[in-house]
Order: sequence, then C-alpha cells, then structure tokens
Amino acid sequence: MFAKLVVYCAYYLKAADWYKASKAFFFDLLENRQSRRKKYFDATMIMLLVLSVIFLIYDIEHTDSKMGGYFELAILMVFIVEYLLRGWIYSDTYKIVIEEYEKALYLNLPFKLSGIYKKLIAKDLEYISSVFAVIDVLAILPSYRPLDILRIFIIFRLFKLFRYSDSAKLFADALASKRFELTTLLIFTCFLVFIASVSIYMFEYQNNASINTLFDAFYWTIVTLATVGFGDITPQTAGGRWVTIFLILASLGVLSFFTSILIAAFSEKMLSVRESRTYAALEHYDNFIIICGFGRVGQEIARHLQEEQSRFVVIDKSPEKVAAAKSRGYLAIENDASNNAVLLNAGICRGASAILCITGDDVVNVYITLTSRHLNKGLRIISRANRHDNVNKLYQAGANQVIRPFEIAGMLAAEFVGQPVAFEAISGILQSQSDIVMESVLVSEKSALEDRNIGQLDLEQRKLTLLGVISANPIHLKHKNKYPVNQQHFYFNPACQFILRRGDILVLLGRKYGIDHFRDQVEQRRLFARRSA
Amino acid sequence: MKQIAVFGYNRLSFEAISRLDKEFYRIVVIDHDPVKVALARENGFETANIDFRSDDDLRLAGIGGHIDTLFCFFDTDSENVFLTLSARALDPSLNIIAIVDSPESAEKLLAAGANKIIDPYEICGRKIHDMLKRPDITEIFDHTVFGRHDLHLAEVAIPDNSFLENMHVSQLELRSQYNLLLIGIVNKKVSDRLHFVGEEIDRRLNVGDILVILGPSREIRAFKKDVENEYCKI
Repeated sequence: MFAKLVVYCAYYLKAADWYKASKAFFFDLLENRQSRRKKYFDATMIMLLVLSVIFLIYDIEHTDSKMGGYFELAILMVFIVEYLLRGWIYSDTYKIVIEEYEKALYLNLPFKLSGIYKKLIAKDLEYISSVFAVIDVLAILPSYRPLDILRIFIIFRLFKLFRYSDSAKLFADALASKRFELTTLLIFTCFLVFIASVSIYMFEYQNNASINTLFDAFYWTIVTLATVGFGDITPQTAGGRWVTIFLILASLGVLSFFTSILIAAFSEKMLSVRESRTYAALEHYDNFIIICGFGRVGQEIARHLQEEQSRFVVIDKSPEKVAAAKSRGYLAIENDASNNAVLLNAGICRGASAILCITGDDVVNVYITLTSRHLNKGLRIISRANRHDNVNKLYQAGANQVIRPFEIAGMLAAEFVGQPVAFEAISGILQSQSDIVMESVLVSEKSALEDRNIGQLDLEQRKLTLLGVISANPIHLKHKNKYPVNQQHFYFNPACQFILRRGDILVLLGRKYGIDHFRDQVEQRRLFARRSA
Repeated sequence: MKQIAVFGYNRLSFEAISRLDKEFYRIVVIDHDPVKVALARENGFETANIDFRSDDDLRLAGIGGHIDTLFCFFDTDSENVFLTLSARALDPSLNIIAIVDSPESAEKLLAAGANKIIDPYEICGRKIHDMLKRPDITEIFDHTVFGRHDLHLAEVAIPDNSFLENMHVSQLELRSQYNLLLIGIVNKKVSDRLHFVGEEIDRRLNVGDILVILGPSREIRAFKKDVENEYCKI
C-alpha cells in the first residue's frame, strides 16, 4: 500500500511542472556555470563566508557578543539550506523510483521498496562523500556549541570558497589530475616519517630532555623533513644524528619530487586556464567575429578588425600561430575549429555575428563551414576556397560567401596590365588607402532623402560623386543601367529624375568626412528643413 | 598588341591569363617544370619550357626583346626575386608584376626592380574584411566591375589635337552625354597621382592627361572614339 503511494508520488512529480521549474531554478542558482544567477549567488556566498570569518576573529576578543551570535545563526541556516538543496538537485529520486517500478513490472517481479531504499542511500552517500559536500559539512559543524573544540574548524569555511570561484577549482583540479603520483609520494613519505620518528624516539628518549613522547619525535621529523628545522629539538646521540642525516637526504628527494609534480600539474593546467579565460572574455561580447585559421589571410583580417576595434576571436590548431595571435593581443583559442564544443564555447550560438573559415586546407574549410551551419542556421559564413572545384561544395556546406584568393589576385594582375591607372584608383578606393572612399548611405524611413529625386540632392556642391543606387524596390525597374546584384538591383549613374524610396542605398564616392557629414545631415533632417524655411 | 610572358604556371597565373583579352595580348606561359608546361599546353596556352636561371634562355624567350610585360608567378619568393633581378637587368623598361608569398619579400622584390607587387593573401584578407564591413559595396564591385556584368573602369589618355584639350573638367558633361562617370584625372606632366573629381578646383585638361572613367563598355568605346576624332565637338 505504502509502496503504491510512493510510486504514485513519483509519477506525480514527473508530470508536475512546478517541480521541474523549481528544480531547474535551483540548478541554475547552484550548479549551472552559464547562468547569471549563479554568479550573483556565488558572490553573495563569498561575502557571507568572509563575514563569518571576520566575526570569528572578532569573537576571539569579545566573547558573547549578541549580534555575532544572531549573525552566526543566520549564516548557519543559509549553509544548511544550501547543503540540503544541493543534495536535492544531486539526484532525481522520482526517476529512481519509476525506473525500479517499471523494471519490476516488466520482469513481473513484486515491487519492493527495500531495493529503492538501497539505491537512494547509495546515491545520498555518493553526494555526502563528495569532496565539496564534506567541506560544506565542515563549514556547518563548528557552529554546534557542544562541540566547541570544533570552532577552530570555522576557518574551514574558507574552503567553501572553492565552490564559488573557478580559479580555486582549477587549482584543485590540477592537484586531482596528479592523484596517482601524489598518492605514491604520500605513501613513501608516511613510511619515511614513521621510520624516522620511531628511530629518533628510540635513540633519544632517555638522552634528550625535549623528546618525551612519540608525538615529540613525530613533530621533530616533520620539521626536519620539510627542511624547516626550527632547532627547538636537536638530536643528542650519535644514533640520532645518523637518523637526522638520512632523513635530511631523503627529504630533499621527497620535496623535489613533490615540487616537480606540482609544477607539471600546473603547467598542464595552464593551457586550459588560458582557454577558459578567453571563453570568459567572449561571454561579455556580442557581435564578434570568429576567425578560423590564423594564416596570412587570417592575420590580415585580424589586423584590420583590430584597427577598427571590432571584436573577434582566432581559433587555430597550431600552437605557434596561436602564440603569434596572442603576442599581438588578440583573443585566441588553440583548438580544432571543426569541433562542435569548441565553436559552441567560442559563442557561435551566442554572440558571434560571422564566422570566417579561412584555413589553407579546403577540406578543413568545408568541414568547419558544415559544422557552423549545423550549429547556427542564421550565422553569416564566409569561406575560402583554394581550389576552384571546391567553391560549390562550400556553398552546399552552407557558406554565404566563398572567396578564392588566387582568383582575386589573378584578376587584379590582369586588371593591372590593362589599365594601371584605373586599377590603382579603384584599389586605392576599395582599400581605403587614399582619402577618397566609397561608402553607402541608406535612405531610411522618413529621412530627408525619402521621396527626393537625385537632382535635388546637390551632390556636386558637396563634392560627392554618386556612383549609383542599390535598391530592391520594383518601382525603379523602369530606369535603365540596372545590374542585378543578388536579389537587388544596382542602378548605375541614375538620372536626375530618379526618385529615392525608403530602403534604397546611395553609393557615394568622396572624402570620408564629406560622406560622413552628408550622412549626419540626412539623419538630422536639417538638410532640407532649413532650405524650405 | 602587347606581349606578356607568364613565368610559373599555377592557379594564380591561370586566373590571370583567363582574365586577359586574347585580342589585345599575346601570352606565353614559361616554366622550367616540363609537367606544368605540358599542363599549360593542354589548356591551350602558348608555352615555352626554359630555365629562368639562365640569361640566355630569358633572352631567347624574348625578354629584352619583344616582351613588354612580365608576370613572376612562381610559388617561392626567392625564385621571383631572382627572375625579377635578371629580367630588370636585361630590359630596364620592362613592366614586371610579381606575386609575393611572405610580406617581407615585398621590399626585396621592389628593390629587385618589380613595378607592381601582388600579395594574394593580403588582398584576400582585405576582401573578406570588406565583405564583413561593407557588404553592399563589395558586392556591387564583384558583380559589375570585376564580374560578369558590363560595367567597367577604363582609362582614356587625351591625345594631341583632341577636342578635350583646354576644356574645363566641368564642361565634360560625361554623365549626361555618355552615361559615364568620371572618377578622376591623372595629370601626367606633374605626377602619376590620381586626382579625384569633386576634389579639385575646376582645371583645364592638357594633352597626355589620363581620365579614369566608369561605365558600360559601349559608352566607353564611344567616348574613346570621340576623343580620338579631332573634329568632333560636343
């Protein structure tokens, strides 16, 4: 009967939205690294911890302060609630119940609660014995007044900081990754300490006033082993001195081994630390560009983007190229860009506005293009094709634009032979090397340009040359000199009677500030207002 | 008819050659690798298999003789520098266009005597940057001036006794008369610098000035014809 009730409850919870929502909320709050809530929560907890330790220090001198007591209680409640909540979201009880129940149904066995209890307890134990849970308990326990000796452990609360700060976690991870080496070293050190303490105890017990217990011997061993050597206890017998000599020699080995393990662990972790820092920096940006491949082309683009202070991140497999990117102050990730996780971490679905697949290898480019398109349907993808046959493959893979470096260079070479002057002119304009630039001005809704004809714009006086108008508006189709460009038309050299409609784009040639000035005036709608007045 | 020698047969030279009008240019592809020469011949180009390291061979190919323009399209910068150096020694007036692989070689090539350096990677990078920042303008140029559509840039030199001589820029009226846009003028007497229109005070045109114009090829042809015809008056 009771078992039935349990199963019923489990099914009810499975279907309940409020249950799921609240669990998701607390998961966000406590565990989900991506969520903003966790950040605030972590900050609050760190503050509480620091405050509680400050109160501890205060309490040492001022016993029985009332405020401290209340505060302590409040912190304690928060910690307990947090501990229980973490236990709650650690596992889904109802899932275990349902799973067991359905298994029993399927196998035609009687459904027993004892099996479930066993599993639940196993899960709970798993949670309780996890490192962070133990630290949480250590933070709670000292507040239990009867165990006053434990008050010193309140300092352990600071270990809770590990939970709330990623850098501390990385430190712990680095140590954890060297578990095997550290264990070996620990066992060896234990032997050494045991042998040294016992032998010094044997030699010195009668002859040395300062070694009276085995604990004194142990204390002396540790002090010597760590090469600290306070000198408060010194061996007096010849036997004791021999033990000292051997212990010092052995401890040199132990210490250097320990140091080398630590250094190795940290230098291994350093890479991922840097990478996660890059990811963290990217999280604050939106509208950035992902550059896959930091070859010559990538460097050129990065340089331009840097000049304009646009945001971008470089992904490259080769460590040298990533190092080169970093030395120039760019954000860079050393990883394989065709890997889903790498692109997702880099923010392909979050803040990226475009991705450039410009490695020297077409196979890689196709693969990155495909991966990115699969991850983000609306993203702008520009890919580089080194061989002509691969252009269509890149379009099929989902690229918006495909660029062929050798084709462009070949074309420019041919242009240059034919018309060097014209070529220099146009490349100067396109590359913005000269003062003269080519820019577009949008005819926005209700702007001063809308429904005006070209003759009224007075462009000549403004020292601007109108090359043409880009428009998707079918109303213009009667005009001549139109060139289809994608879904729009480019109207070259439009006549004076050409009437501008909203959404049209003017392509102007002129000095940069001339065009900017024109654009400003258009935006402010002063241009014609003043005239008509 | 201009004579062009293309050294090194690869993707880039293939693109460059296919862009050049066969009517105006006689192109010969030269490579020291017989396989590449055979490949070029298969694609229908005139070829020669000579070693660029020997001056005699270069002379044989016509450098210092009938060749006007030289493309150094080898894959390695050192080969291009060597070829540029040898060719410049043979013919001081040769028009040498070289590609460059690493940016620091650009200066070396210029020092060796190249007239124009083309850096495919730099161009490509700039192009992608343009695509990102000014998609509309880049697209127009890809489709029109550099692309299939009939809209071209052209340069027109003002010959002796042309009706354009002593005319003011503002009197040209290219916009309405020819459906052409005047982009700029190079005053050859002063410098090779291009002066953009709109920029300059209204100046008089001289013989030898070069007009840079943009427009459909039919209009360009018509304008060129009129410029050469001394009796034509606007």
